[in-house]
This record gives sequence, C-alpha cells and structure tokens, in this order.
Amino acid sequence: MNFAKLIIIYMFLVSYPVSGTARGIGETEITTDDGIEVFQNEKYYLLKKNVTITSDDFEITADRVKANFEIDLYDITSLEAKGSSNLNAIKYGVTGKGDEININIKLEEIIVSGKNSFLNMQETKMSSDGSIKVNNALGTFELRGANSNLQNIDLDIYGEYISGVFSEFDDKKQIKKLNVEDKNLLTIKTENLEMNAQKAVYNDQTNIIELFSKVKIVKGQEIITGDYGYFDTIKNSYKVKSDNTSKVKVTIKNSNE
Amino acid sequence: MNFLLSINKRQLIIWITFIIILILVFFAFSFISNEKSIPKITDITTNKSDIVKPKFSISGQKSEIFITAKNGNFISAEKILLEDNVKFKSKEFQLVSDNVIFDRKNLVATSENESKFSSKKTFIVSAGFEIIENGNIINFKGQTILKIK
Repeated sequence: MNFAKLIIIYMFLVSYPVSGTARGIGETEITTDDGIEVFQNEKYYLLKKNVTITSDDFEITADRVKANFEIDLYDITSLEAKGSSNLNAIKYGVTGKGDEININIKLEEIIVSGKNSFLNMQETKMSSDGSIKVNNALGTFELRGANSNLQNIDLDIYGEYISGVFSEFDDKKQIKKLNVEDKNLLTIKTENLEMNAQKAVYNDQTNIIELFSKVKIVKGQEIITGDYGYFDTIKNSYKVKSDNTSKVKVTIKNSNE
Repeated sequence: MNFLLSINKRQLIIWITFIIILILVFFAFSFISNEKSIPKITDITTNKSDIVKPKFSISGQKSEIFITAKNGNFISAEKILLEDNVKFKSKEFQLVSDNVIFDRKNLVATSENESKFSSKKTFIVSAGFEIIENGNIINFKGQTILKIK
C-alpha cells in the first residue's frame, strides 16, 4: 500500500516538468504546423498551416491566421483567420464557421465570410453565402450576400441584405431594429404568417414590420398582395395598401382543392 | 512483544541491501557525470573552433540585436556556423538555439534546430528559425507553439 503511494508521488514529481508545457489558466496557446512569421516593424505575425488558438474563453482553428498587435506579440488587436475557419466561444454561446473569420478585439467586432458561413449567438442564428458582421460594442449586425438568413425564436428572415440592432434582455439577444432588402423578394416568417417584399423595416418602439414594394402576406389560406403593408407583431394584425397604379388583391385558397 | 523482534529479519536484510545498491548507483552516476563535465586538457588543446565566443550584432530599425555563441566556424568567407548556446538578444526579445548559420554580409541568421524565443508575456518554441531584413522579420519554422500570458 505504502509502495503504491510512493509510486503515485514519484509519478507526480516526474510528470510535473512535463505539465509545465501545458496551457495554464489565463494563458493563450497558439500552435501551428508550418511556423510563425513575425513582422516587427509592420506589427503583425502570420500563423501558418493548421492553426489552433486556445484560451480560457474561446478556440479558433483555421488554415492560416494573421494577428495584428499594438506593442508586442502578446498585445493582439485583431485576428484574420483564413481557410476553413472555426470559432467556438461556448462560454458566451458564440460559434461560427466560414472561409474567413475576422475578429477585431478593440472594436469588439466579428466578421464571418464565405459560402455557407454561419454565426450563432445564443438563440440567434445567422447564416450567409456572403458575410456576417456583428459588433458587440454597438450591438449591430449585418448580413450581406445570397442566402442570408437570420433566425431567432420569433422570426425567420431571408434576404440579400439584413441589418439591424440587437438589444440585451435577460441575457438574451432581441432584435431592436431591423432592415431587410432583397430585389428578388425577401421573406419574413412568424409563427403563423409569411411576408414577402423588396424591403422591410422593423422597430421595437412601434412593434410594426413595414413592408415596401411587391408586398405579399400569406396567412393560412389567405394571400394578400399590394405595394405597401405592415404587420403589428403585438396585435398580430396586418394591413396591405396599394398605390394609384395597382389594386390590393386578396386570394383565398380553397382548402378542399 | 518488542517491536524490533516483530520485524522479519529476511525482509529487513533485503531492504537494507536494496537501499545500499540504490545509494551506490546514485554515487556512481554522479561520479560519471562529473567526469564528463570536467574538460580534459586534450579537449582544450584540440579545440578546432575558428572563433571562440564569437560576438556579432544586427542593427535593426528599432534596436540592435546582439549575437553570442560558445563557438564559431567559418563555412565561407561570409557565413559562420555558430554553435552551442547561440543567443540573439535585443531590448525586445531573446532567442536561443544551437547551430545557427550567420551571414555577416546580408545579416541573415538561420537555424534548423529547436529554438526558444521569449519576449514580454510571450514564449515561442519552434523547430528552427530565420532572421532576415535586419531583424525585422523573424520566421519561426516548422511546428511551433506560441504562448501568451
């Protein structure tokens, strides 16, 4: 029994110097397969091939990363990850994936870009074939490009350009302002409604989604088209108007058809 | 019963023998390592280094990098192979490696040996390195680990 204890103590003592090479609390560890190129005057360094950046709060993996610094290597101001880039910050409920991930630490801004890129922030899921930009300090978001989509518990939004402002409520992100544009018609889905238009604007002060140009609202069997529409998210009611050149059209599908 | 009488004599002899052997092995090892560490007169007289304790410097834009080593051997008129505990030291960092080729004309240093770099809150271990452009660019080669505190 005593001998077993001795072995355990011995193994602990022997393994101590080895464990000294492991990442400590508060440390950031960066590993690369093909080295690091430091440009001292230009104040950046290139991390090459199979890059992994691990800290207490997040992990980033990419084919290559450019790290910009202010004073010395430790003082990173921004990271530009390229090629199969992944971001995982479980602590903050943030995950992302794209061809490129740019993180500006000073501005608290993340940009994920490339085909099939996504950025999930708690219950808000954003995806695009273009780019997704979120600024945590300003609370703004912007999705550009084909197949851009923003989803949360209440809304499912598709459009070429989606931008807006988040607000934090009970540690959950809620949409405060929203602007969606798509020349080929945007789509906003709620629990029992689907809206299409070329432009949509939402403000949480009015709780109204305004729809502009080629408006179409589908609710159950009812389809209403026009040039302008709005949807009251609190009253769950909507209205469609038309300009002088056209008329509001209502189509009711026959459920027996 | 007396405690001493309760001890198994055979086991006691085995343990004592084991401890004596352990002590002898320890002293033998320390004797051998001491023998190795003392330079022999023949070693000193046959030291074939072209330069003993060479010192160079690279004047960078920000600060000067001082290069020291235990030995140096000329590979060509401009290139010197720096050996054993080669250090590159500036105000900002220190880089330690073995077997570094230093080009005096172009002020370029390269190594294919494990290199350890340290600066403020930063520590890098790589499989080699290259210093070019008067120390502006340091290229850490191969599998590299960077730690930031």
